[in-house]
Amino acid sequence: MNDAAVIDVREVTKVYQLGAVRVDALRGVSFKIARGEYVAIMGPSGSGKSTLMNLLGCLDRPTSGRYLLDGVDVSALGDDALANIRLRKLGFVFQGFNLLARTSALRNVGLPLFYAGLGARERDARAAAQLAAVGLADRADHKPSELSGGQQQRVAIARALVNDPAVLLADEPTGNLDSQTSEELMALFGELHAAGRTIIMVTHDEEVARHAKRIVRLRDGRIVSDEPTGPK
Amino acid sequence: MTIGGYWIEAFRVLAANRARTILTALGLVIGVTAVIAIQVLGAGMSGAVNGILGGMSDRTFFVVANVRQADLTRAALRLSDLQRLQAAVPNVVDVLPLGGTRVRAQYGHLTPRLTLGPRADKRFATSTPVRYGRKIDADDVAQGRHVCVLSDAGYDKLGLSGDPTGTSIRVGEYRYTIVGVLGKSSAGVLPTITEYQVGIPYPVYNAEYVRGHAILAANVLLDDQRQIKPTETAVLAWLHAFKGERLRYQTFDRATFSAAVDGIFAGVTLVVALIGAVSLLVAGIGILNIMLVSVAERTREIGLRKAIGATRFQVMLQFFIEALALSGFGCLVGLVLGVAIGALVDDLAIVKLSGVVAPIPWLRSIAIATGFATVVTLAFGTYPAWRAATLDPIEALRYE
Repeated sequence: MNDAAVIDVREVTKVYQLGAVRVDALRGVSFKIARGEYVAIMGPSGSGKSTLMNLLGCLDRPTSGRYLLDGVDVSALGDDALANIRLRKLGFVFQGFNLLARTSALRNVGLPLFYAGLGARERDARAAAQLAAVGLADRADHKPSELSGGQQQRVAIARALVNDPAVLLADEPTGNLDSQTSEELMALFGELHAAGRTIIMVTHDEEVARHAKRIVRLRDGRIVSDEPTGPK
Repeated sequence: MTIGGYWIEAFRVLAANRARTILTALGLVIGVTAVIAIQVLGAGMSGAVNGILGGMSDRTFFVVANVRQADLTRAALRLSDLQRLQAAVPNVVDVLPLGGTRVRAQYGHLTPRLTLGPRADKRFATSTPVRYGRKIDADDVAQGRHVCVLSDAGYDKLGLSGDPTGTSIRVGEYRYTIVGVLGKSSAGVLPTITEYQVGIPYPVYNAEYVRGHAILAANVLLDDQRQIKPTETAVLAWLHAFKGERLRYQTFDRATFSAAVDGIFAGVTLVVALIGAVSLLVAGIGILNIMLVSVAERTREIGLRKAIGATRFQVMLQFFIEALALSGFGCLVGLVLGVAIGALVDDLAIVKLSGVVAPIPWLRSIAIATGFATVVTLAFGTYPAWRAATLDPIEALRYE
């Protein structure tokens, strides 16, 4: 199981220098996530969960410690190498969806493929397939403003998965959705998990977190608990 | 990586912000239009004036007493001076005083005031075409015949119709027989100086009008046009020796005029082109400004693009191509407008007035305007693109 770890975080710290103030966002965090796991990261604000998410998402580098993503030590890579890792190995889902306005669902989903250098025809074909996989085949030509919040988040999930990443990272994915839509989205996450996706989700919502199979709780930059969720 | 995708994206963004795109491009449109139109007009005008001067004979040059000298009275020439000059300087066939006289003419019941002036035989005349009859010939000059050649305007003022050759008209105190009428001259400075409404053989003019009057400018006629420059030097040397070492004279031939005209137009074109270049610079700052606004507005979008794997180069390329598309659009419209305006004004004004179709350096004008617009865009489009490329994705995603 350990050998198959897709995420291996070892004694990672992160220190911010805000003017004269030193902020220890992470004070030595270690954990592993195996391929196919569905993990929720929880904690109150200021616990360091956003910082951890940025590190896991290769948007930032740890101050010390090591982070192996899919067997590659990414803790000391340069900006462009990190961009490439994000492109190939990670898929992001944000609280605010972050879709390009005035751009069709199909083109939004195809965006990572554009940066991967694929031609328009193949981008559209793969984006259409991924939209169909999240149940939005008939909304391909709709712009974000013509879609409901839940549909927009599904488009964002399709975009995150279109490059077939090793890990799906979701940052408060239900934060902007009502409870009914949240449930539907969690059902989709459940399906993706069942299909073998590795999912890491940051949330402060216990209801949402319970859908994951494992919950890592942070407080003051340290892991305070790391346990599987009880059977439902 | 498909560059085409960046262009498509750039045009989509520009089309979405239509008003902003057009207003920003307008600066470039004006700049490019101005630079092209000015160069075309400069070339057209310079060509036109040179074309008119081209009508001036290569066998004559002007010698002028510089009017800005203390002893102008002493510097002024007499008819006897011109005769001595002709005898003394080799290659000079003759020297005729420059400048006509306003006199009252009479034909039928019309008594218009006309300019009357001396004409040499046709070897030394301008290339103005003949409408009726002929120009003054060598015999007219040699024998001092009382004949005249009318200009187009002189013909009209006398109320003549049809071929008037052989008709006798009264001009001033004498009668002259019309031997020819000139066609419409190409308008300009030179013909109005040298193509009098009534032209008579110069010995007749000298005898009847100049007599002892002071002459400030004269037209020197040459035997051999290849000797024009040495002869000019010789004439000046003779004048200094004969009239006084400290007196000042100048000579002008066709080449001198051409060079002067070219110099004036080159100077004017350069100054106005510089103003055009400044306007392009201002347009470039407009592009810089609007691209910075665009980057700021789309901070979250940039954050997202970086998060899903766009490299700094890819983000930079996107914004750079957007600036390029913006300026390319303005440049293209400016090119079309500049060429259209230049061609129209050249055709309707310069060619029509001067009758000279000068070669226009279209390619050079377009290359200069496009080149400058490109440099401006490269200079001002890079910074916003770099700003976008170096945004921190975490900060950018958090941006509201």
